[in-house]
Amino acid sequence: MRFNSLRTRLILFLVVLLGVVQITAFLLLNTATYNAARAKVEDELIVGEKIFARELRQNAERQVQAANVLASDFAFREAVATGDVATLASTLQNHGARIRAAALFLVDLNGRIIADSLADHGRQPVDFSQLLASARHGGTANAIMTFDDQALQFIAVPVRAPITIGWIMVGFAISTGDAQELHQLTGLNVSFAVESAGQWHMLASTLPAALLVALQGRLPAYAMATTMHVLEMPGGQHQIRIIAIGGSQGHRVVAVLQRPIADAMAGFSGLRLTLLILGLLTLALSIAGIVVIALGITRPLELLLVAVQRIRQGDYTASVDIHRSDEIGVLAQGLDHMRAGIAEREARILRLAYEDVLTQLPNRSQYSAQLARRIAAGGEQALAFAVFVLNLDRFKYVNDALGYGVGDHVLREVAQRLSALLTSSECVARLGGDEFAVLVGSQDARRASEVAVSIIKALEVPILYEGQPVDVGASIGIALFPQHAADAEGLMRNADIAMYAAKRTRSGFAIYDASFDTSRQEHLSMLGELRRAVEHGELQLVYQPKVELKSAATTAAEALIRWRHPERGMVPPALFIPFAEQTGYIKVLTRWVLGEAIRQCGAWRRGGLDIHVSVNLSARDLMNRELPEMIGQLLVQHDVPAQRLGLEITESGFMEDPVHAQNVLGRLSDMGLQLSIDDYGTGYSSLSYLMRLPVSELKIDRSFVSRISEDSKLSTIVRSTIELGHSLGLKVVAEGVEDARGFALLRELHCDSAQGYFMSPPLPAEDFRIWLQGGTTARHNSELSSVMACDQSDFSGTDEAVA
Amino acid sequence: MNRPGPPTVLYLMGLAAQHATAATLRVLVQDPSGQPQPDAAVYAVPEQPIAPEPGMKATIDQVGRRFVPRVSVIQTGTSVTFPNSDNIRHSVYSFSPAKTFVLKIYSGVPASPVVFDKPGIVVMGCNIHDSMVAWVLVVDTPFFARTDGSGEAVLTNLPPGAYTLRAWSYTMRHEGAGERLQIRADANPPRLLHVEPDTPSPEDDVPMNESMEGMLH
Repeated sequence: MRFNSLRTRLILFLVVLLGVVQITAFLLLNTATYNAARAKVEDELIVGEKIFARELRQNAERQVQAANVLASDFAFREAVATGDVATLASTLQNHGARIRAAALFLVDLNGRIIADSLADHGRQPVDFSQLLASARHGGTANAIMTFDDQALQFIAVPVRAPITIGWIMVGFAISTGDAQELHQLTGLNVSFAVESAGQWHMLASTLPAALLVALQGRLPAYAMATTMHVLEMPGGQHQIRIIAIGGSQGHRVVAVLQRPIADAMAGFSGLRLTLLILGLLTLALSIAGIVVIALGITRPLELLLVAVQRIRQGDYTASVDIHRSDEIGVLAQGLDHMRAGIAEREARILRLAYEDVLTQLPNRSQYSAQLARRIAAGGEQALAFAVFVLNLDRFKYVNDALGYGVGDHVLREVAQRLSALLTSSECVARLGGDEFAVLVGSQDARRASEVAVSIIKALEVPILYEGQPVDVGASIGIALFPQHAADAEGLMRNADIAMYAAKRTRSGFAIYDASFDTSRQEHLSMLGELRRAVEHGELQLVYQPKVELKSAATTAAEALIRWRHPERGMVPPALFIPFAEQTGYIKVLTRWVLGEAIRQCGAWRRGGLDIHVSVNLSARDLMNRELPEMIGQLLVQHDVPAQRLGLEITESGFMEDPVHAQNVLGRLSDMGLQLSIDDYGTGYSSLSYLMRLPVSELKIDRSFVSRISEDSKLSTIVRSTIELGHSLGLKVVAEGVEDARGFALLRELHCDSAQGYFMSPPLPAEDFRIWLQGGTTARHNSELSSVMACDQSDFSGTDEAVA
Repeated sequence: MNRPGPPTVLYLMGLAAQHATAATLRVLVQDPSGQPQPDAAVYAVPEQPIAPEPGMKATIDQVGRRFVPRVSVIQTGTSVTFPNSDNIRHSVYSFSPAKTFVLKIYSGVPASPVVFDKPGIVVMGCNIHDSMVAWVLVVDTPFFARTDGSGEAVLTNLPPGAYTLRAWSYTMRHEGAGERLQIRADANPPRLLHVEPDTPSPEDDVPMNESMEGMLH
């Protein structure tokens, strides 16, 4: 409708404009034609008047000559000389007839009529005095005078014998013939009229009777004579010119020259008709052209509108198919480009929304959506599947140490490997950072485990970056649907928890277990409870002796934290330490542990027991710039020399933020503290980097030590590690010594010290003192069993995280 | 200015009479503006009419398409001959009541002269040449004369007695009113006579040539 109205408006506007122009032009032409015609007629009338005057004069001359001939006639003169009125009258009649005069008068020298040619003498006498006066002056004279309601041209000529003895006045009637003659000469209509007492009386005319009557009724008053007039006559306007030609005795004689203006326009009327036809033709063609152009504009506009509507509805597939070389074409082309651009951008945005740019894997959104779909499908068809969450180990280190380029390369490579490994139905996604997720259509835990193992294997192959191998591992958490959660969120979270569990245990992968989830359930109350634990002394340090293998003497101990919950009993550190690390409460815990350990160390020293105490530091602690100061204050407070305090940091602890760690560790070392690398062998630390750290002790992880007596490979690793440590000038401590054979073997390997259940489990301070004093090496103490029970449960991987 | 009434005749001292029984009268003719009038007729009509002598003759020649003389004064009963000295023909006519005649076209001397037997003004023309005009004043007295170039005329051989003295010019259509006059034998003072030309002058009516300029209005 809008286009229709636009088209209609366009057409209407142009047609009206054109029409107005045409009509205006035509009217102007008409006016100009009319004015030209009027001017032409005016000119004709002026010329006509001149011709008329000349004609009148020539006519008069002819008549004068005729009259002269008459007056010169001897017989006539003779008759005049006789003075006999009757004779004279007959002579006048006779001679008047000869020259076709309407009336002849013989007057004496004073103008008195002596005789006339008229039969009837009862008429009004004619006053010839004026005519006579001018005749006396010029010899002859003529004037148009009215006589007997007629206009006569009177000629006065003298009668001479041979001097003037009288005058004859010859009156010639102004006839239609005269008018016709003039008409033929000038092409004008000629009428003679006499006015008396304001009334016009028409005498002779070339006009048809009807027009003559009309003219009579329209002639302006005599006072207006000699000017041009336009009279509305039947059949059109006439231009007239009134010429006063005479009159007498209150009568005025005029000649009216006239011409219909239409006559003069006749020449133009052909042109006008041509122009009219031309104008109408132009108008018609223009309208046709305008309609065509308007359609040409609005038709593509309609197509454009259709295209726009299609685009608005989100259909970018159909191209705007209008090919024109004009502006519309350009617009259409522009629209098509826009369409293509929008389509492309939308596709890109869509891709960005659901795809990870770096790896081209589906992103978290898409993964979640797919998960939701699977769940929806699974709900109906009871299809079980497994959600894998995969987190790369040491990726941060790769990023920090080798740069983001390497990091990105690693991520892409991991993505590639995962994709290659899994079937198309098993969706791989990158959740963000170094975290990936896999959806595996596995029926049970066994199948899920197989997949997890294959993934881990695939990732064990070092990734090459510019020829250099980059070693990354992965921890995988697995949650099964529908066993572990009924919704996507739950599955993801549980898989996440399992993944953290796997990371903690370094087991590569872990299938979700409800026990992992305690922290989750108790999350909210945990912080409050920890605070209470610190304030109410629910926390306790236990000490595990480090036995020197050479001398079997115990000069050092590692302090380990224990939480004796009033309701839940012993809470393993693995349940609250990660939480404390996450919430930042680890700072408080570390402070407490340091304070307690140093206090105990000071107390033992005062009691004569010079024991070197080691405290585990979390990676988070190394971020704390105030740590060295705090330790310094505590040492002073409890009067403990710095050399008696050791700090144990895991490899990963160093790796979190190597620069910062190095800085803090440097300051601590400068203070005289002894620094140890804890859990050595579990990480992938670069030994050259570790060498740069101011450490003095290397603690071989229990995973190597505990089964050293059973596995010769392990013993080889341990030996080489010991040798390596020694060659770097480090003391080497073996953790997790569980039997006498192991103990003996370590001694053979020249390991410096050992820790383990074989010697003693971690003991409360008082028990530790008693153990020392009662102390032989490698002895189990039955009274320590309550502490042991707890330690057994987290034997595999809790202590390394304990501050 | 046509003033009615006879023309004023002034009585002037005449010169001494040449003869004891005949007197001479000098007359000066002027127009009202005082201009002397040549070719004017001055004549004295005695109260006692004198019978004309028979055989009085006069001649009016036609020379160069002109009447010569243009103006003549003759006594009643004079025979006037109209010889044609031109080598073209003329036809003399007069419609004047005093003498109406026509001399048919002729050359040389016509066969018979024209006897002017009545007093009055006779205007003659040529029927062929409109510009030719001649005046003849026919008077009933033998005492007449024509003024010369200075407007003077001399009447001679006037027997003393009562006269009516008149003057006429061809510019006048009618004879003027007379003036009674007593002629003495010894001396008659010269007289001044006024003539009043008619307007327009009859002479002016005469066309100068045959062609006419027709004028409108």
